[in-house]
Amino acid sequence: MPVPILKQGDYLIGSIQSALTDTDMIDFRGALADQVGKNRSRAVIIDVSGLDIIDSFTARTLQDITHTVKLKGAAAVVVGIQPQVAFAMVQLGLYLDGVATALDLDEGLALVGRMTAGWRARGQ
Amino acid sequence: MSQTKQIDLVASQLFTSEEQEALRDLWVVYESNFDEIQAATMAAAEADPDLKKVLAQLTPSQMEADQLKSRRQLQRAMQEGDWQPVIEDIRVQGGHYAQMGLPFASWFVVVTAAQKAILERLFHAYRKEPTRIQAIVLAMNKWLFDITLASIGEKYMDTREHLIKQQQEAIKELSTPVLPLRAGLLLLPVIGVIDSERARQLTEQLLEGIRTHRAKAVVIDLTGVPAVDSAVANHLLLTVRAAKLLGANAVITGISTENAQTLTRIGVDLSGLVTTSDLQSGVDEAEWLLQVARAHRESGADGLQARPIVDR
Repeated sequence: MPVPILKQGDYLIGSIQSALTDTDMIDFRGALADQVGKNRSRAVIIDVSGLDIIDSFTARTLQDITHTVKLKGAAAVVVGIQPQVAFAMVQLGLYLDGVATALDLDEGLALVGRMTAGWRARGQ
Repeated sequence: MSQTKQIDLVASQLFTSEEQEALRDLWVVYESNFDEIQAATMAAAEADPDLKKVLAQLTPSQMEADQLKSRRQLQRAMQEGDWQPVIEDIRVQGGHYAQMGLPFASWFVVVTAAQKAILERLFHAYRKEPTRIQAIVLAMNKWLFDITLASIGEKYMDTREHLIKQQQEAIKELSTPVLPLRAGLLLLPVIGVIDSERARQLTEQLLEGIRTHRAKAVVIDLTGVPAVDSAVANHLLLTVRAAKLLGANAVITGISTENAQTLTRIGVDLSGLVTTSDLQSGVDEAEWLLQVARAHRESGADGLQARPIVDR
């Protein structure tokens, strides 16, 4: 099942509702990067609140997405990691280094607002 | 388990008919020397500091009433074999004294003193019949140790276990309060030794707390933690990283000099953590983190003099 990607102003919101297969995950990564280019988006918010588990592949892909969209000029934030999922992740050594995280979509929007503030200030 | 054992003890025949016979002989001696035996036992009890404290709490009239009651019960038990009330009474008293905090060892003082006092009179009364004495002594020991002390011991175990359970529950509840200090700032004061169970609980409560209070910064205060080993340190590190995944920054405060030295010696790398010496500076630090976040959000909103901040 493909992940819906919603456009919200300058931002893109991808909401992962249920566990994805590895192929779906890779497709999601590609689709996001494409959409960033097409819409000239400034930030991407990935909501993972629907996931009961985040394994090493998912974590790695989230990191990849962050790097990919950064190369395309957008910031990325992962939001909605459940507390027990967060602790399971760090126990597995999945720290999501280099990935910005926020509690939920609300906080994520505030965070990308901060992250992209400079671009707006420069009138881009 | 103790429950089934108690039922067994009541249901089964406590004494054989020979033993009951011997106890009848014992009662004759016990009855005729009751006051002396009682006095000797009380003297031994008074000499024990723990018992003395407990005895001081009882009024003389109360003590007399208790003695009279147990005397009548004992008479029925030894003469007619009706042990049920005696055992029940022992259990009640055992539980009562256990709750008062009387050490179990004190019961040995009482029972052995009673045994000694009875034995003296017994040998005197039946000095011409050694076989009879033997039977009586065996039955008496069964009464004093297998029944009286065993019942008391059982009750002590029950009381202690109950107490330990209660205290564990209390510790569990008290151990990890997550306190919202102000909007977006949580305080987690940790007091006492952290074992793996507590560490797990601490993490769980903190992460849940971050979610419910929508915290952006957390201060974990370790002033009350006597020792931090590598397991605890690593667990803290994981907790801080997990908090970060939820979007909250953690500040660790109050690591004592000894703990700091220990952590350095065992080579735990806490360089990824924000640490301050005491709670006060930790709260200052956390507030600064919050202010920075707020300032950037505000400046982002009006679009002035802001720089892109990609890593938080």
